[in-house]
Amino acid sequence: MHRQLNAIEIFTQTQTIPSDHVRKPTAMACLIVHSTTEQHRINVADGQSVRDALDITEMRVRAACGGTGTCGACVVRLVGGEVTAPTVAEYMKLSPDERAAGARLACQLRLMGAAEIVLDQPAPPSQWKSIPPENLIAAPGSLPSLAELIYGVAVDLGTTHIRVALWDRRHGKRIATRHGPNPQGAFGADVLNRLEAARARPERAAELAKLARSAIVQAVRDILARDVGEVTPMLAQISQVFVVGNTAMLALLTSRGINDLVNPAHWQSRIDCVPKDLAEWHAQWYMPNAEIVLPEPVAGFVGSDLTADLLATGLTDGPPGSLLLDVGTNTEVALWDGRTLHVTSVPGGPAFEGVGIRYGMPAEPGAISSVRDAAGNYACETIGGSEARGFCGSGLTDAIALLVANGIVKQSGRFEVSPGPDGFSLDPANPRTAITGNDVDAFQRAKAATAAAMEQLLAQAQMAWSDLRRLCVCGAFGRTLNLQNAQAIGLLPPINPAMIELHADASLAGCEMALLSSDGAGRFAALAARIKATNLSLAAGFENRYIDHLRLRPIGSHAEHERISSCLIA
Amino acid sequence: MLNRIVKAYNEAVFETDKEAAFEVVNAALANGMTAEDIVFKVVIPAIEEMMSNITKDPDANLAQHFMTAQIAAEVTEKMLTKFKHPPEIVGRVVIGTAHGDLHSLGKRIVMGCLKAMMVDVIDLGVNVPAEKFVDEALARDAQVIAVSAMMVHTATGEGGARKVRQILKERGLENRFRLIVGGAPYRFDDRLFLAAGADAWAPDGVSASRVIVDLIKEVKAS
Ligand code: FES
Repeated sequence: MHRQLNAIEIFTQTQTIPSDHVRKPTAMACLIVHSTTEQHRINVADGQSVRDALDITEMRVRAACGGTGTCGACVVRLVGGEVTAPTVAEYMKLSPDERAAGARLACQLRLMGAAEIVLDQPAPPSQWKSIPPENLIAAPGSLPSLAELIYGVAVDLGTTHIRVALWDRRHGKRIATRHGPNPQGAFGADVLNRLEAARARPERAAELAKLARSAIVQAVRDILARDVGEVTPMLAQISQVFVVGNTAMLALLTSRGINDLVNPAHWQSRIDCVPKDLAEWHAQWYMPNAEIVLPEPVAGFVGSDLTADLLATGLTDGPPGSLLLDVGTNTEVALWDGRTLHVTSVPGGPAFEGVGIRYGMPAEPGAISSVRDAAGNYACETIGGSEARGFCGSGLTDAIALLVANGIVKQSGRFEVSPGPDGFSLDPANPRTAITGNDVDAFQRAKAATAAAMEQLLAQAQMAWSDLRRLCVCGAFGRTLNLQNAQAIGLLPPINPAMIELHADASLAGCEMALLSSDGAGRFAALAARIKATNLSLAAGFENRYIDHLRLRPIGSHAEHERISSCLIA
Repeated sequence: MLNRIVKAYNEAVFETDKEAAFEVVNAALANGMTAEDIVFKVVIPAIEEMMSNITKDPDANLAQHFMTAQIAAEVTEKMLTKFKHPPEIVGRVVIGTAHGDLHSLGKRIVMGCLKAMMVDVIDLGVNVPAEKFVDEALARDAQVIAVSAMMVHTATGEGGARKVRQILKERGLENRFRLIVGGAPYRFDDRLFLAAGADAWAPDGVSASRVIVDLIKEVKAS
């Protein structure tokens, strides 16, 4: 999937446009967008409408239809540039005067080259954005026999983010997606703090549950308002809401199993998160006809989001030696050995999501997503091509790998020459491109935990790294992870890169597949039946593996030390 | 020769390069150095050096502490098998994570350093009930009980160190053992260890091993 990217720039209304921004490069085009508030640069895929391009940013146009040109709400003012000609819809929705003044419908407008627009009436600010299309996985399936109530909602409830997709289940058509923050974050970024707050006070538990539920329905309403044009009547047309998530999030959503989760003795066992108050959910959501499905989480520390990953990637359909990583606040790992699905999770630390990194940030516009060595300089590529604001997981991986390759950071994680508290700036002109000693440390610990978890499962299945045939990397790295760099510093095993697949939002995709099959819950249950969950904090040998993987070097290079240390005993 | 070995070993430890450290030790053994000398003249001084440097070396990070403690522990463990006479043990500590806490890695660094310093470490694992800390300390004749807790509610909660203190009090064992706590929450509030009923705390694993050795001596002297 190779798409040509165009650049959009967004300025505030008061700002003058530097003329060199309206340049005419061959592959890249530049669209300048003036809005009342902000200035952004974003990338637009070739053939993508301006509305769709803006929908994945904070700068959305108004909209009340699925981009079909029927609502006429998405008006923008074209100042100039190379764009597609007005469509019939635009002639119908815009008066000749408006058109003469440059009015265009953003959903009809596509870039042919450099262009410039004004966003006079942006949509009101919202937490919800569309998921970038490249992060979605095509979910096969449809339910042609579904005569009425053809809509369905897939929800991936994460600790920091909620992802939602609305589907026409009958025709197997995705209407739109949204992602936004989990509002429970206000009660602590850390899962255990939230659980503890809920355990201590039942009214707090109820409050947390309500927050998550209202966020879910807000996302659905945002889709209906902007992509369908009708809200309440459509809510009643929804026949299923399929929810996956990590166990703690499911417990907090349903106010069930919280006491069990706070007690680690129960982490290995099944946690009952079946909601008892569904009538209340229906009422709160205005979805009287929706069947609400929450497949049981695998165990206290492995949620149904992992099962969704397994479904989306078809891990058990592949050869023995298929491994899956879902990188997030908690990294979940699954290994298929041909008979059993060995799964575990590891609190790898949220470093890969940018948390705990001085200039770390999620994969959002302005995040450095890749770094290349350009003749002694570091060429930082950001999401959207705008000025670097910090690193997301893939950019951080590249940066550290290159610093190690160039001898600036040693395998121990120590800088050859201490850069001081401000860190080492990849771009000396931009302090937000700096990597500090603590950043390297946080990264080392996160990657060591990840590698050790993979190795532990391999050992459990009596397999070696060389037995791996397939590796699916889902989650925080998105699709921009540089495999060579990840392998060079021991984040991923040194297997043929052709065996490695990068998926971004695999759990949402698995949830969507369940929504589009007649027995989604059954498919989850069938996978769950093959799962053997291991709690690493109780697993012998995990800590030694963790420490062995702390060094910034390829996985497997410490096999050498086993040889040396065995000489010592002899 | 000793100077050269110490220097090479310290360099390897500074680089957290376990292979290099093993090579130095192997070469020393090949040159006729005894396992005893390697531990007492090379490994332990290196740890003591690290302890005194830790506050002066802001660049040393947690990952490096893990690795250096591991090197010390592994080398010592292997040398012990070559000792002519079983070494004299400085003392004994029972260590584990507080009830409700599964963060096992927190105690790794202190365990590694203690082993290398000839302290007998009894690891009770994770999620350890308060009664077990006391029972094991009694059964193993330890001097120190070390409770690691990485979450606020396990660091100050009723089931953790506070309960250990309560049991010690109830059973009249307060003079027999010292109680030390460690973990992230205690770093945010340096008086929190008192609220947890502990005699001492340490901000990091390397310093904790020094504090524990001091506590052992205190108990033995009393
Ligand atoms: S007309 Fe463009 S979104 Fe409705």
